[in-house]
Amino acid sequence: MQMNRRGFLGGASALTAAGWVGTLAGGFVLRPTWAHAAGPIKMGIATDITGAIAPSGNANWQVAQFAVDDINKSGGILGQPIELYLEDTASDPKVAVGNVRKLIQERKVDVVLGGITSAMRQAIKDPIVNRGRTLYIYPQLYEGQECTKYLYNTGPSPAQQCDRLIPYLIKTLGKKKFAMPSANYVWPQLLNKYARKVIEANGGEVVFEEYYPLDQAEYSATISKIKDGKVDCVFNTVIPPGLQPFVKQLYESGFQKKGGVLSCVYYDENLLNYHPAQEMEGLVSCLDYFQAIDDPFSKTLQEGYAKKFPGTKYLFTAGSAATGMYRGVKFYEAAVKATGGKLGREEVAAAMDNAVLLNGPGGGAEMVPGHYHAKMNMYIAVCKNEGGKTRYEVIDKASMVDPREC
Amino acid sequence: MDFTIKFIFDIAAFTSVMVLIVLGLGVIASMMGIFNFAHGELVLLGAYTVYLSDEYGLGPWPGVIAAPFVVGLIGLVLERTIIRRFYKVPIIAMLGTYAVGLIIREIVRGLLGGHYKSIPEPIEGAFSVGGLEFSWWRSLIIVTTLLVIAGSYLLLSRTSIGLRVRGALENPMLARACGISTGTLYALTFAFGAALAGLAGALIVPLYQLSADIGIRFLVQAFLSVMLGGVGTFEGPVLGAAAVGIMASGLPWLVIPVLADPLVFVIALAIVRIRPQGFITVGRL
Repeated sequence: MQMNRRGFLGGASALTAAGWVGTLAGGFVLRPTWAHAAGPIKMGIATDITGAIAPSGNANWQVAQFAVDDINKSGGILGQPIELYLEDTASDPKVAVGNVRKLIQERKVDVVLGGITSAMRQAIKDPIVNRGRTLYIYPQLYEGQECTKYLYNTGPSPAQQCDRLIPYLIKTLGKKKFAMPSANYVWPQLLNKYARKVIEANGGEVVFEEYYPLDQAEYSATISKIKDGKVDCVFNTVIPPGLQPFVKQLYESGFQKKGGVLSCVYYDENLLNYHPAQEMEGLVSCLDYFQAIDDPFSKTLQEGYAKKFPGTKYLFTAGSAATGMYRGVKFYEAAVKATGGKLGREEVAAAMDNAVLLNGPGGGAEMVPGHYHAKMNMYIAVCKNEGGKTRYEVIDKASMVDPREC
Repeated sequence: MDFTIKFIFDIAAFTSVMVLIVLGLGVIASMMGIFNFAHGELVLLGAYTVYLSDEYGLGPWPGVIAAPFVVGLIGLVLERTIIRRFYKVPIIAMLGTYAVGLIIREIVRGLLGGHYKSIPEPIEGAFSVGGLEFSWWRSLIIVTTLLVIAGSYLLLSRTSIGLRVRGALENPMLARACGISTGTLYALTFAFGAALAGLAGALIVPLYQLSADIGIRFLVQAFLSVMLGGVGTFEGPVLGAAAVGIMASGLPWLVIPVLADPLVFVIALAIVRIRPQGFITVGRL
């Protein structure tokens, strides 16, 4: 087969237009439209633009642009604009380490935000924090126990996701027998460890805790255990692609019809679209933000985001780390303001420790000094099915929940 | 008793999925000697056809019906442009088809924005027999699989087209000397295998999510099935797929699920060691 150059270029540009090829060969820079004598503040974003978790990574990148744009439009941080540098971590820790080094050694960024999976955080934290001597902000909800100096976590911890949710499941909904089907990796294992403690402390019982290969396609053995054990609450940490066959088989077994509750603490607005509406009805989730919450500032954020990225496939949601990314950028802004514009790592870290946000997605947040995690509002939401359309209904709000980490 | 029936149904449903996926792969491997590493992506294209028809408001049915034809046609084009260059070098064919698969997969990933999409079952819900509930769609998959196996078998063993295909496989030189156009036959066989993959994709996607990786998650087990059953016959891969399907869905009842996955491979490889020629040895077709 012969391929001429014009045909190749034509094909390549068609793919670019389809949003498929990242223009990322050498990273990506978003410069502010104006300059300052002291030069810009350089912010590095290292996230998964391509690969398995590209939907979350792209949401993170868009939210970072949105937040930075907002800061630059209102005059930057104490007059200094922010310049954004993007490197693709490609859902692959091996690729990520090299690209993150580029941010630090070539771009000489003042702070790095990003990483979504725990494997990614573990891979890039050392090149950033230790060898790179740079501040690192990690935005995703995760399994906890990350207490590295100069590493700030802006997503919810297991305590924040479980402390309110599990008592709600047990005391308000009256569910006592829990099953914990889980994907076999670090987040479910550590989250389950914490959740089990809370379940038992509240008088519930864990019937079984079981781990599956990430792409398992058949769950009849699990469904049978759920039936035999008279489980009335499934605390799910199975993730895609193994997720949908599990949820479908659970639904087909009549679990929900018989009063069972499916609960899943990473379920945001994206995830509802991964299943038919009837399978999602009654699902209970607990996150730091839902689009349905009644908060004027959050609503303006959503409107601004929709205006900047009209019709985007990548939603501004909590489960994809986008809310943590927004908080991370704003925490950094608050910290640099507190240092009076000094960008040295020690000074900014000291200020980061006490940083407070009055507003954000889901409300304000504040770093807990010395603990590298943030207090934030947490919401419990239940999925409603209205004629084949799903939406969350927020039924509970807990203010400024303590992360209980470090 | 109830338990046994439900257990058999669950295993039969998953085994049917496995067999459906392996059929096309087996036909191409057995008839043409090509291990088609793009098979998973042909399954993906079948699934994607259903997604498109649902997305454009036609509902899933037109997609399910169109999928084998659409993917068969794509298979025909692939064979005429790329695959036919590989018949003399089966090892390169693996790499070549892998590359084709990779391209298809990444294009679909781009089109989906990397997201997972839920496809509704064309027939939703369940019917009950004697107090037991059976999912309509899973039942339909079991029935369709049996029909497709029977149909393919009859086509290959009882019709003159099948005779020609088998002749071209047995001795291409002699077949050509008898006036059989082996090139055309190979193209049709590949298109047929691709159509089976498309049908498999269309039928299984409501059970899973549509994602770019829907094909590759079954591909390794599908190759294992072909190895287990033996290349060169029609029944071999089908039996191999049934064995792998039963093991993959049955073992999690006995051991912890994380162990079940590798155990399927250990058992299958042990069988292959004992019977390297596969379940079915003689090319009866």
